[in-house]
Amino acid sequence: MKKRFAVKFTGQSGQGINTLGEILAKGIKNSGYNIFASREYPSIIKGGYAAYQIDFSDEEVLASSKYSHILASLAEEALHKYTPFVNPKGIIVHSLKDFQFSKEESKYIEENKIQVVHIDTKQIALDNKAPEIMANVVLLGYIWKLLDLDIKIIEKLLRKIFAKKNIDMDAEIRCLMAGYNIDKPKDFSIDKSQLKIKRNWNKSKVLTGNDAIGLGAISAGCRTYFGYPMTPSTTILEMLGNTYKETGMLVKQAESEITAAQLVMGSMYMGTRAFTATSGGGFDLMTETLSCAGMTETPFVVVLGQRSGSGTGVPTWTGAGDLNVALGAGHGEFPRCVIATSDVKDSYELIQKAFNIADVYQIPVIVLTEKQNAESMFNISNLSKPLKIERGLRSGKNRYEITESGISPRWIPESAKPTYLVNSDEHSEDGISTEDPQTITEMNEKRMRKLLTLRKELPEPVYYGPKDAETVFIGMGTTKNAVLDAVKETDKKIGYLHYQYIYPLKFEKILEIYEEGSRVILIENNQSGEFGNLVKRECNFEFPEKLLKFDSRPFFVEDILDFLEK
Amino acid sequence: MALKIEDYNTNVRNTWCPGCGNFGIHMALKQALVDLKKTPSDIVLTFDIGCNGNGVDDIEGFRFKGLHGRSIPLAVGAHLANRKMTVISDIGDGGLLHEGVDHLIHAIRSNYDITLLIHNNQNFALTTGQATSTTKEEKPMYAFPDGKAEGSINIGELVLSLNPTFFARGYSGEPQQLADIIKEGIKHKGFSVIEIMQVCPTYTPESNHEWFKERIKETERKATISEAVKCVKDMDIIYTGVIYQNKNLLDYYSRLENRKGKKTELVNEVKNIDIKGILNIFE
Repeated sequence: MKKRFAVKFTGQSGQGINTLGEILAKGIKNSGYNIFASREYPSIIKGGYAAYQIDFSDEEVLASSKYSHILASLAEEALHKYTPFVNPKGIIVHSLKDFQFSKEESKYIEENKIQVVHIDTKQIALDNKAPEIMANVVLLGYIWKLLDLDIKIIEKLLRKIFAKKNIDMDAEIRCLMAGYNIDKPKDFSIDKSQLKIKRNWNKSKVLTGNDAIGLGAISAGCRTYFGYPMTPSTTILEMLGNTYKETGMLVKQAESEITAAQLVMGSMYMGTRAFTATSGGGFDLMTETLSCAGMTETPFVVVLGQRSGSGTGVPTWTGAGDLNVALGAGHGEFPRCVIATSDVKDSYELIQKAFNIADVYQIPVIVLTEKQNAESMFNISNLSKPLKIERGLRSGKNRYEITESGISPRWIPESAKPTYLVNSDEHSEDGISTEDPQTITEMNEKRMRKLLTLRKELPEPVYYGPKDAETVFIGMGTTKNAVLDAVKETDKKIGYLHYQYIYPLKFEKILEIYEEGSRVILIENNQSGEFGNLVKRECNFEFPEKLLKFDSRPFFVEDILDFLEK
Repeated sequence: MALKIEDYNTNVRNTWCPGCGNFGIHMALKQALVDLKKTPSDIVLTFDIGCNGNGVDDIEGFRFKGLHGRSIPLAVGAHLANRKMTVISDIGDGGLLHEGVDHLIHAIRSNYDITLLIHNNQNFALTTGQATSTTKEEKPMYAFPDGKAEGSINIGELVLSLNPTFFARGYSGEPQQLADIIKEGIKHKGFSVIEIMQVCPTYTPESNHEWFKERIKETERKATISEAVKCVKDMDIIYTGVIYQNKNLLDYYSRLENRKGKKTELVNEVKNIDIKGILNIFE
């Protein structure tokens, strides 16, 4: 890796890895570098192993590298787990007395000229009249020394972030300084000389994909959120709940996903904007409502945060194996829109777009995200301007009037307005239940016509890369991030065709690229190539090559580079 | 022009069986709405699936016929979006106690300001007479010639065990009294649960009007929940009327700190909202 570095902070769940990881990430950002941070943690509150990796560069960083230059660890299991992922000439720093590396680990360390430093952080904390728990701040200070960055930046940040917590701030700072004042090995350095420092970058933003979705919803005039906790969507509830005074949004934790979905449908029917977010299992419970929204032509927005596996799966790890359920969920046949987000920029924009599509087309819109986007921290200078709100409201004679576009009049139910019947039974134009075969056919056709209208109006996929790319990856979601980061590390001419609007599918671009003679590769974070199967279904195009990964890990930059080397 | 019952009638032919208790219930509901001077466009009605749901054709208003068991959360979503509308959730004993019993429990503890009309005909009628939690034990029902092997649920007891703010019981054969009960329920600021004992001439013909008439007895509001429980437990005499009301608990929306003092409804607030103030958190 030429122009990027990675530092990994690890320990047990419950050791403050997230808080310190966030401080470290923001500290590096405030020092004038682009950062990307991702979290790995177990589905338990205490114990196991957790990691927070920050990749930084002077260019945009969107994905993690598999190997880090610095590995810092507070816990034994984590240290064993991540030692094989330290770069040659990297450094391992830990706080574990009498820690023994295994034979293989020692061999790896020796062969790759990795240095190992043990710091008795607990003793240092105690020596500085600080409680043992502040040992991790000692380690933070030492990492900062290894990074060779300005101590004032991290001190300021620590003071800001801990200001609201009831802790001994002076002791924190003493621990930070104690760690920072330990000499670093002479022959270790992070050579940042190639990296330009960005000015005023401390004003840039560090957001998770979920933060961006929440902010996008606020911008779009969404006035209520109904949630039920489930990783990796839970932090949308957190973000919207913690800002509810500023936004005035009605934020509610429902008794189940079934309820959350029904609340959304009820609120949307009444004419406000509402949404919910969940993961695969919760989404399964929402599917009857999805189908009902399809039949009743009620706008509906749900964020489906993907983790990996069926059943409970691997709850706190990433994947993109829920496209099939997004496309097929709900009984009967009804039009829907499926959108996939990849980073904070498009999460912020696409959730707004989702509301517009749901309102105008009166259909359910499923917004896919992945743990890798939902909970990772991205760094951007600022968010784009809010999208114009489009609602498509108009009055008419019949709520379900048959039209060429398939879109019927919809007006907000309120006093003195003509009343109407919204009916989950098949119905005629006036909403009254029907069993008449001709009406049933006409109403089905009318609803499905919305899909054709929508397909025409959806934007094309986004192409990244040179016009004469030899190799073009095609995919959705966070696979884009790993490819775009990898492109910077190779001289090969690589392109990426990024699908944000998955369904209804605009497949023409794929055929175009293929016919121009590029090597075309499907890339997906799932086992069966679900997007590839959709393409096959829609236009009978079979991807000649596939790069699939389904080990609950995201694509790392090295995964792409290794694939290209093969 | 003065509001009339006819304003609530539709010109769609209704599908209920002759003698169905739902006729009385709708008569009472329309009367209550007219008495409260609410026009059809002031009303949102959510309907469940079942015979009660087929009543969606029979009454005017903004109506949403949703899914089985889900009438309550659908109504709650509508209510929270615009509290100016009077929201009434309509459901049968099957949908309420079986498919959607969790919604009842949480709606009571949340005290949403809506009115719940429970059509208790003591069976799943539209699917041709299966047992519910309110069907008499030992009574032969669909697929179970010896009756259900499960116990029963007394709706009043269940509701009163959850610290409700309003519980009433009416009878489909006494529409005038029922209309008065519904009026009280709509006026109550909180979750008003109204259980309506109902004749089902097709599947529970033994509980006909004569049977009910011998047992129905009007009663007064009880001062405490325990007195109310005593009253609803007794099924030899079926007490009707507003049995319990507590006006001292706030409804859900009124408890939301961030909505206090807001003059607009959520439905009026859909516009681009500036996030600049919040964005600072992410620096």
